Amino acid sequence: MIVKPESLTFADKKIRMLIAGYPGIGKTTLALSAPKPLYIDVDLSAERINRDVLNMAAGITQPRDYKELRADLGIGCTELELQAVKNNLADFETIVIDTGGKLLTIMGQYGKGIEPKYGQRDGSLSLKGYGWLGKEFQRFLDHCIYQLDKHIVIVFHTIEDKDGDDVKLRIKAEGSSKNSVWEVMDLGGFMEMRGNTRTIGFSNCERYFAKGTRGIHGIRQIPELAPGVPNDFLTKLFAEYNAVSAQESEQAAADKAAYENAMQIGHELIGKVSDLESVNAIFPEFLKIPHALTSKRELHAEWNAKCKALGLFYDKVLGKYTPAPAAKDNAAPAPEEEKEAK
Amino acid sequence: MRYTITHSLLSSWLHSMKDNPYEDATTERDAGEELMQALRREPIPMNEAMQNGIDFENLVTRIAYGMSPEGDSWGEAAAAIADRVRGGIFQYKAYKEVQVGGMTLLLNGRLDVLKAGEIFDIKFSKNYEPGKFFGSTQHPMYFELIPEANSFTYLASNGSGVWSETYRRDETQSIIPTIESFLSWLSDTGLMPLYQEKWAAK
Repeated sequence: MIVKPESLTFADKKIRMLIAGYPGIGKTTLALSAPKPLYIDVDLSAERINRDVLNMAAGITQPRDYKELRADLGIGCTELELQAVKNNLADFETIVIDTGGKLLTIMGQYGKGIEPKYGQRDGSLSLKGYGWLGKEFQRFLDHCIYQLDKHIVIVFHTIEDKDGDDVKLRIKAEGSSKNSVWEVMDLGGFMEMRGNTRTIGFSNCERYFAKGTRGIHGIRQIPELAPGVPNDFLTKLFAEYNAVSAQESEQAAADKAAYENAMQIGHELIGKVSDLESVNAIFPEFLKIPHALTSKRELHAEWNAKCKALGLFYDKVLGKYTPAPAAKDNAAPAPEEEKEAK
Repeated sequence: MRYTITHSLLSSWLHSMKDNPYEDATTERDAGEELMQALRREPIPMNEAMQNGIDFENLVTRIAYGMSPEGDSWGEAAAAIADRVRGGIFQYKAYKEVQVGGMTLLLNGRLDVLKAGEIFDIKFSKNYEPGKFFGSTQHPMYFELIPEANSFTYLASNGSGVWSETYRRDETQSIIPTIESFLSWLSDTGLMPLYQEKWAAK
């Protein structure tokens, strides 16, 4: 369905989130605080999880391999089968993958099964295999978001990476896939203990790379669970994300519209410039364009390039454009740059 | 009199400040000498990595202006980046005069692409890890140069993959304290006269 851009609110966007942290810090508990989670226990470690935590899941599946997971989620199946899967998953709002590292591993094993070129003799993935893995991971997320219409939360273990004396925290995943998973995430947080408090950080810092958008930045404290205290941290966070998203998209749409308007007027005026006379006639009008974002800089750069191409030079004394002095052809001062430099 | 400051000069300085660059004997670069070359404004000999970076950026620019990416081994990656930056202003030169530590400085930068409130920098790198550019002086410097920009995105590629890393203005520290520290260091080490001689702005 085609709609006007300004009618998009982004208020119910499905969110892709990555949670990383050391074992035992409570990543699964946090992941299960998302709205109505379907817990996909790829690690097959549900028995190690506290029963109270496990009961927070609205449903659980323990796929033995990626083929089974594809069937559970209706990936690559017919429209009819997909409809059946959608009906089956109707009670869930979030898909929780625990862990992402293991998901990539079983995905890679599946890839080697369907195409021998994706593997090497030692059992690891080939370069082509990693290329396929990155694309399959993207397809998997797209399927969960666009076909199933669910939030997705992926849990990763953390490993330490030494850089000289500095210790950096990275997500634990095979090869280059640990870099590409970030690309598609809306949010990515590292969980840490600060004193006796569990926290999750969404801003990059010296120790880890994280990802925050739509007003979700910095370090958030995770409330301790206690009887009567609902485990709803991510449910609230997603609601906050979408509320800010709606506000920001409204503001961004207004800025973008003003920017596009300025650029359109500017391009039309620059298009009319053809010689000395037209430059001087149009320049006052060009200066009156109502700007937004970086339109002023972009249009002035285009204006200056056009004048330079026409061999024109802005004479500050005369206050108008004149033919450029031959010696200064390549150094014709652009009014905007000149002003900024002072 | 005013003096030019670029992000690459600050970057050379910060790199030279790292403890003993030869500690693990895995680098052949002498960060201290590289800084002195930068201070003396001596041209840096072109190497393969630099040439690859220039070639890749030129390819992105040509594709953004309509050239087909087909037939080039980097074409697919360059096309993905070209799609992000198409319509922007390429190689935008920016200047800003600031007062720091009692000196008048001319901040100077050349942006790869400026488009709709966002600054893009195209990087060609064999190795990429998320967070690679966190400590860079580039986005803090360019945010200072372009006050209207609200985000800075590094678009990194190894010729096949493409990774983006975005920094927002509100989570980026100002470049001014780094410049203050640099000027103090120049004074303390007696290198201020050399900087003032070589980096005097017109």
